[in-house]
Amino acid sequence: MIIKAQHSMLSAWLRTMISLGLLALLQACTTTTIDEFRQGATGITADDSVVILGRRQGAAYETRAQFVECVGERMARGSNAINVVPEQQFIDAMFPWFEPRTAPLRSEDLQQLMAQPLVKEIMTEFGVRYIVWLDGQTETTSRMGSISCAVGPGGGGCFGFGSWEDDSSFEARVWDVSSATAVGTISADATGQSYMPAVFVPIPLIARVEANACSSLADQLKQFVQGG
Amino acid sequence: MSNCTVTGKHAATTIHGLKGNRDLQSGILKRVLTSVLILLCLASCAARTVNVEGSYPRPNIPAIPLVLGVYYGEGLTDFVYTELSDRGEEEYLVASGDTHQVLFNTVLPAMFERVVVLDSMEEAAARGVDAVFVPRINEFQLGMPQKTRLDSYEVWVRYNMRLTSADGSYIADWVMTAYGKATASSFSTAERGINDAAVAALRDLASNFSLGFTGVPDVRDWLQHRMSQ
Repeated sequence: MIIKAQHSMLSAWLRTMISLGLLALLQACTTTTIDEFRQGATGITADDSVVILGRRQGAAYETRAQFVECVGERMARGSNAINVVPEQQFIDAMFPWFEPRTAPLRSEDLQQLMAQPLVKEIMTEFGVRYIVWLDGQTETTSRMGSISCAVGPGGGGCFGFGSWEDDSSFEARVWDVSSATAVGTISADATGQSYMPAVFVPIPLIARVEANACSSLADQLKQFVQGG
Repeated sequence: MSNCTVTGKHAATTIHGLKGNRDLQSGILKRVLTSVLILLCLASCAARTVNVEGSYPRPNIPAIPLVLGVYYGEGLTDFVYTELSDRGEEEYLVASGDTHQVLFNTVLPAMFERVVVLDSMEEAAARGVDAVFVPRINEFQLGMPQKTRLDSYEVWVRYNMRLTSADGSYIADWVMTAYGKATASSFSTAERGINDAAVAALRDLASNFSLGFTGVPDVRDWLQHRMSQ
């Protein structure tokens, strides 16, 4: 009798958990918007490469190196893969010209920079055709709810519900090194709501906002530099 | 019965022995625990030292055709910044003298035709240098996430740079600032964060110094004079 009651309680708990999980899974999705603004013709050969650099001039935030790496890795794989020079390798080789305080801010500054024989030589060595400047960040807003956890001699557990919203906003400015001009801008905005229900164990249902912004932006950038 | 008595005696002896052993073990355990607690307390109370370590790339700039002497004085080599806690106790000691020498020993040979490291200012004339460079740290500030409420470690340094001729006479004296920050990570230590922020600040100094050196008014005038000779 007791076993039967426990069994029915367990089934009810499982059903609740599955329903909560499915509900949250349905809602833990991301919306991504990509905008492209083309200023000039593009095209890339098999010998050419692209370097993706994060903007780090601002005091309030800096573009995360992990996001820059993510975009680069995605552009360098799959069909029509592009040669991507790793950010840190390029910045070290170009030292001190691409540091936060010395990096060119406008495409006109790139013309002046390319006038330096050492800079031009390294740029040619890497075969850099396009410089992509990534600028942006992911912010977490609208935090709601609370989760309490307790541990005792008989065990522990958590109970509660938490949710938050992540907003990613990134802009990629593409400079053509051969002409030292800006050829276009692509922006990616992604939003998603994450949930964390906790009934004994917290179950994180995370909206992969930055990852989606990364993949969408990388795919668009790949098409853009290939002239598509 | 006799067996029973013997067993009882034996049992009593065993119990007594066990009790004695337990007391001994408990005593040792107490002493060990007390020592561990004291050590932990001392470790948590003692200031943690961060010896800043990093590598710096060589600048890609045209070299000035001069021989530069560099003297790393006490204001640089033995510089240790002390970060105090909210209660005024020493929390972190940041030693950056060695890494500053590594930095200048990488940057200066790219900026000049030849660089001579001097043990004293007096040997400058004998070593045939055109000028002597003396860097010095004036001020060092550290921003810790728990104090600034930001998610990064920040380092700000103010330097006094001095350039003299081989005989010690004035050429230039100027102030430079450097800033670096490192994002605080949940899986990293404060020591690592401080080190990364300091290395970023030194890299900032290196880029600014190597590109801005010839733009310092007194240095520019001196260089123009030297080149025209």
